[in-house]
Amino acid sequence: MFKFLKEKISKVVKSLSEKIETKKPVEKKIEVEKLVKKEVKKGIIKKVFEKVTKKVLEKRISEKDLEEVLENLEFSLLEADVAFEVAEKIKEDLKKNLVGKEVRRGKVKDMIIQSFKDTFSEILDVTKIDLENIVKEAKKENRPVILIFFGFNGCGKTTSLAKLGKWLRNSGYSCVFAASDTFRSAALEQLEEHAKKVGVEVIKHKYGADPAAVAYDAIAHAKTRGINFVLIDTAGRAHTNRNLMEQMQKIIRVSKPDLKILVMDSLVGNDAILQAKMFNELGIDAIIFTKVDVNQKGGAILSVSHLLNKPILFLGTGQSYSDFKEFDKEWFINQLLSE
Amino acid sequence: MLDLGKNLSNLIMKILTRTTVDPEDVEVLVKGLQKILLQTDVDVKLIFELSENIRRRCLKEKIPPGLTLREHVMKVVYDELVKLLGERQASLLGKKRIMLLGLFGSGKTTTAGKLARYFQKQGLRPAMICSDYHRPAAPEQLMQLGDKLHVPVYVSKEKDPYKALKEGLSKFSRYDAIIIDTAGRDALDKELSEELKKMDKICQPDEVLLVIPADIGRIGGKQAEEFNKLVGITGIIITKMDGTAKGGGALSACSATASKVKFIGTGENLEDFEAYDPVRFVSRLLGMGDLESLLEKVREAEFREEDVEKIISGKFSLQDFYNQISSVQKMGSLTSIANLLPGLGHAIPENLLKIQEDKIKKYRHIIQSMTKEERENADIIHSSRIKRIARGSGTSEKEVRDLLKQYGHAKKIMKKIGGIRGMKRGKLQQLVKQFGLKL
Repeated sequence: MFKFLKEKISKVVKSLSEKIETKKPVEKKIEVEKLVKKEVKKGIIKKVFEKVTKKVLEKRISEKDLEEVLENLEFSLLEADVAFEVAEKIKEDLKKNLVGKEVRRGKVKDMIIQSFKDTFSEILDVTKIDLENIVKEAKKENRPVILIFFGFNGCGKTTSLAKLGKWLRNSGYSCVFAASDTFRSAALEQLEEHAKKVGVEVIKHKYGADPAAVAYDAIAHAKTRGINFVLIDTAGRAHTNRNLMEQMQKIIRVSKPDLKILVMDSLVGNDAILQAKMFNELGIDAIIFTKVDVNQKGGAILSVSHLLNKPILFLGTGQSYSDFKEFDKEWFINQLLSE
Repeated sequence: MLDLGKNLSNLIMKILTRTTVDPEDVEVLVKGLQKILLQTDVDVKLIFELSENIRRRCLKEKIPPGLTLREHVMKVVYDELVKLLGERQASLLGKKRIMLLGLFGSGKTTTAGKLARYFQKQGLRPAMICSDYHRPAAPEQLMQLGDKLHVPVYVSKEKDPYKALKEGLSKFSRYDAIIIDTAGRDALDKELSEELKKMDKICQPDEVLLVIPADIGRIGGKQAEEFNKLVGITGIIITKMDGTAKGGGALSACSATASKVKFIGTGENLEDFEAYDPVRFVSRLLGMGDLESLLEKVREAEFREEDVEKIISGKFSLQDFYNQISSVQKMGSLTSIANLLPGLGHAIPENLLKIQEDKIKKYRHIIQSMTKEERENADIIHSSRIKRIARGSGTSEKEVRDLLKQYGHAKKIMKKIGGIRGMKRGKLQQLVKQFGLKL
């Protein structure tokens, strides 16, 4: 996974470390003024200087060493769909960590990798979501945990919802789906078919019905039967569409979700940042990335994490229900940096 | 990132005011352009090729007579991008078997519906075949779209994509166009790519259209290349252009498959579908206002001579008010007009335009609910008439009163304009137009 980004990074690490390792203390010429004559004329001392070149030895990593490689790094990151500002950050961090440092022989590579690790770690550093605790809290209040899914058209909301449903069931929780996508053709049928396969009940209205009302009914249903989770599936929407964003706000108002989950297509390029920014007006609590198996680049994950500072819950990694991986920071960083 | 367009406009304005070409200026422009294209997901290799061509043409070519340096450079940038994306596309008329393919969730099924609608509008009879039996409820989705459009859909009961194709093709042989919707797939997946190859063999399509979302990253090029190797792509449809993405990934797909863009999907409704227009697409990619189509649109919405006459003479009825509103509407939504004006697209908050648009729509409905007499003489509209009009147009009485108030304002302004003596006809027309735009 993320082969592309990994290759790019390892290439940069290699070329940079080779460059610095093979770097000999460089001779550098600087000009200094040297006093050559001193004479006294009519009581005035006159000093005569001459310009002389002197050789000095330069040993540290200079900005110049990094320049070319850093430029390369930036392009490589951009090629891997890392957004512009994030690529800049990685570049700057690396510069900060390396410029002016004196490095022992053989340790350069480790140092570069450590710098990448620190940067990625900082980008992905967020408080994890404690699902068990959320369930406990909800139980105290005698209500189900409510999760709402939203995102752009075709990003994989319904599939992710079904996968999470399966995952919850496997973890011993009961759940119910709310078919709040009442707009797209066959959205209801799609959810019902998933539900049948995962063994979960669906609460639905007709097409064109108020999505908030569907969510409300599903929550009421779950309450009376003591079901642990309500998963609300909403219609795909463009983040630029005011009316649909307002509709989403209404669904959120009515359902009062514990987690608002943004579903993001990992194939999206630089637009990912803008999409996330605009969806964040609704207040994102967690993110699920889909179609990760198709993409070897994985840049969007870094970009969106950097921007939102919100935890990534799962990665969708294939067509079947079990292709659903809990996101783990260490694992992800290892994927990118391991040899 | 929204400011990119502004930046390029500024860049060009600032550095290209001189009459001679300075290599340094061109370099600044190329660097700026590179940055913008990088952020719109255009492939890095393509960007370098493009920059090289632009450099060469800007510095070596003579500026054609009648063009300023700025115009010349703009033209070169346009030309180079259009070369990749394609000129205006020939229509799909006469193409019988059209197969749609693409990645998961790129919008193939919705596009199939939109394409069917496109054929209907041309006066042809389309039919659709579903050969997606992987995704749950994909056949239902296509069938529901077919129901909406009254277009027949063939679905295999055995859920066999090959059988669906064979039987569908023979069943629909009399139809003008057959649209084949396939399952979303990763072109590098062995099983799925084998399936596609086999389907292609059975279908023998006249057109193989790759459906690509506008927000796809640089992976677009690689996937397009693989798809092309498998079945040979003849054209590209870009979907989800209503988001914030600029469609740069599509450029890579074009260059990887040596095929051109044919259509653009711009929304979730079946009507939100346009034939590709290179000028507009490139303007959007670079975030630059598209003055050309604006002028064209304004021309279309030209005011009629007699309207101006009426205004001069101080007679300005509700009917005239209606005509004005309509001609503004003819130019497209206010949002899209604002986007066409350089700079303006960034300057106006979006929800403001949305409110204005909704208002104009309502005004039209209200006036449509009036009698002819009322339209000619607004003074007779009193409370009982207002009640009736509100009911008839599905609005509230307050909204009808609002409209009458607006109309009163407009009338006053018109009177003032008409009162200015010696004003030239052309200038007046201009003023009227401005007023129309400001409604």
